[in-house]
Amino acid sequence: MSAFAAVLSKDLRLELRSGISTIAMVALAMLVLVVLVFALGPGVARGPEAAAGALWIALVFAGMLGASRALLSENENGCIRALLMSPVDRATLYAAKLTASAVFMIVAVAAGAILTVLFFNLDFSGALARLAPILFLGVIGFAALATLLAAISGRARGGELLLPLLIVPMFVPALIAGVRASIVALSGAPMATARDWIGILVAFDVLFVTAGYLLFEHVIGEE
Amino acid sequence: MAAAVVETHALGKSFGLVPVLLEVDLSVAAGHAAVIIGGNGAGKSTLLAILAGLAAPSTGNALVFGQDTRRLDPDGRRQIGMLSHRSFLYPNLTASENLEFYATLYGVENPHGAAQTWLRRVGLANFAAERVRMYSRGMEQRLAAARAMIAAPMLLLLDEPFAALDSDGVAIMADLIRAELARGCAVIVSAHGQASIDGIELDQYEISHGQLESLTDRIEPSRASRLRSLLGRQNP
Repeated sequence: MSAFAAVLSKDLRLELRSGISTIAMVALAMLVLVVLVFALGPGVARGPEAAAGALWIALVFAGMLGASRALLSENENGCIRALLMSPVDRATLYAAKLTASAVFMIVAVAAGAILTVLFFNLDFSGALARLAPILFLGVIGFAALATLLAAISGRARGGELLLPLLIVPMFVPALIAGVRASIVALSGAPMATARDWIGILVAFDVLFVTAGYLLFEHVIGEE
Repeated sequence: MAAAVVETHALGKSFGLVPVLLEVDLSVAAGHAAVIIGGNGAGKSTLLAILAGLAAPSTGNALVFGQDTRRLDPDGRRQIGMLSHRSFLYPNLTASENLEFYATLYGVENPHGAAQTWLRRVGLANFAAERVRMYSRGMEQRLAAARAMIAAPMLLLLDEPFAALDSDGVAIMADLIRAELARGCAVIVSAHGQASIDGIELDQYEISHGQLESLTDRIEPSRASRLRSLLGRQNP
């Protein structure tokens, strides 16, 4: 088994046993959606604009709660030090942590997408199929950003509190693009009209996955 | 004398304006053991962290296998095993899963077999399927020792290895250290008081106010041999 597979399967096994990240993210996504539906009221809480905005707010809040857990959980018993001492390439560690975070988030976002379609009275099968790739791009970008920033903030005092303050402003470009592309997907308009927004999401993912891969070694290194 | 595995030259470390290590010179060869004695906050753990590549020196340098510890390559890291104050173990994995995970990271052949072998060596074979969160502190210390040694490192850094161990655990740990030395591994042990292990020649150092001083040079041979009669016993 490769080091990547070992770290990833260990993280997934730990999550299956505790469920901390996934359960908390799903619960928060649900809570955000319910609150928004009540806050907007029955008249406004219909239609693709409100649904897309609500879904991406749920994605951001759920992600803030759980996307960095795969890395931060390594602080327990100092396990992060053992990983850094191991011969495993740190870019491989980043890739494994990013993948684990993305898997946790996908579960939460999938639940959020189903609830959004239900709460906002949208076409079930068509909307979900069109939304899936857009949400996937959003999840990858968010997980890449969160993993990189968790490595940076993990070295700072009160880093866990600092993390959301760093993530949200940096995620804004992807958030805007994701909401716009999701509106197109939920409204049933041709997906070609969302091409530019999807392009921004892809560029965001490429930028932060590459940055994390290259910078992880430097930001998580020695004290 | 065998080639030095560890060499530090005028090594210094400060946290902010507070100096923790000052002008530390240390050399440990393959198959040799050094014990670093010092009180709480004397800098023992910091010195071991620098040698493990987990902390950067503020001044001077530390070489392990001829490599600067600031820039250890994967092969250099593979040869270092560390037993720290913190166990480096995942509480929600079983003992066996923990060892298999680390064995895989270090490229050990047959990680499952190696894990079972080491669980037997540290007397935890009957608890292999227990999650580490259920372990007592002493059991966790034994498992942490197995974790540090499972990849057959050539440098072992043991930060107070006898802490929390009962008499059986002390005997097991002493046996492990003897076996590692016999294999040619260099061992550095930190302790609060003078430490000795039967059958092992320990180079004793004292660290105080950040400065490292050799005690071996100060102790006459007859006294040094008497010291070795205590198995893992540490004076307060």
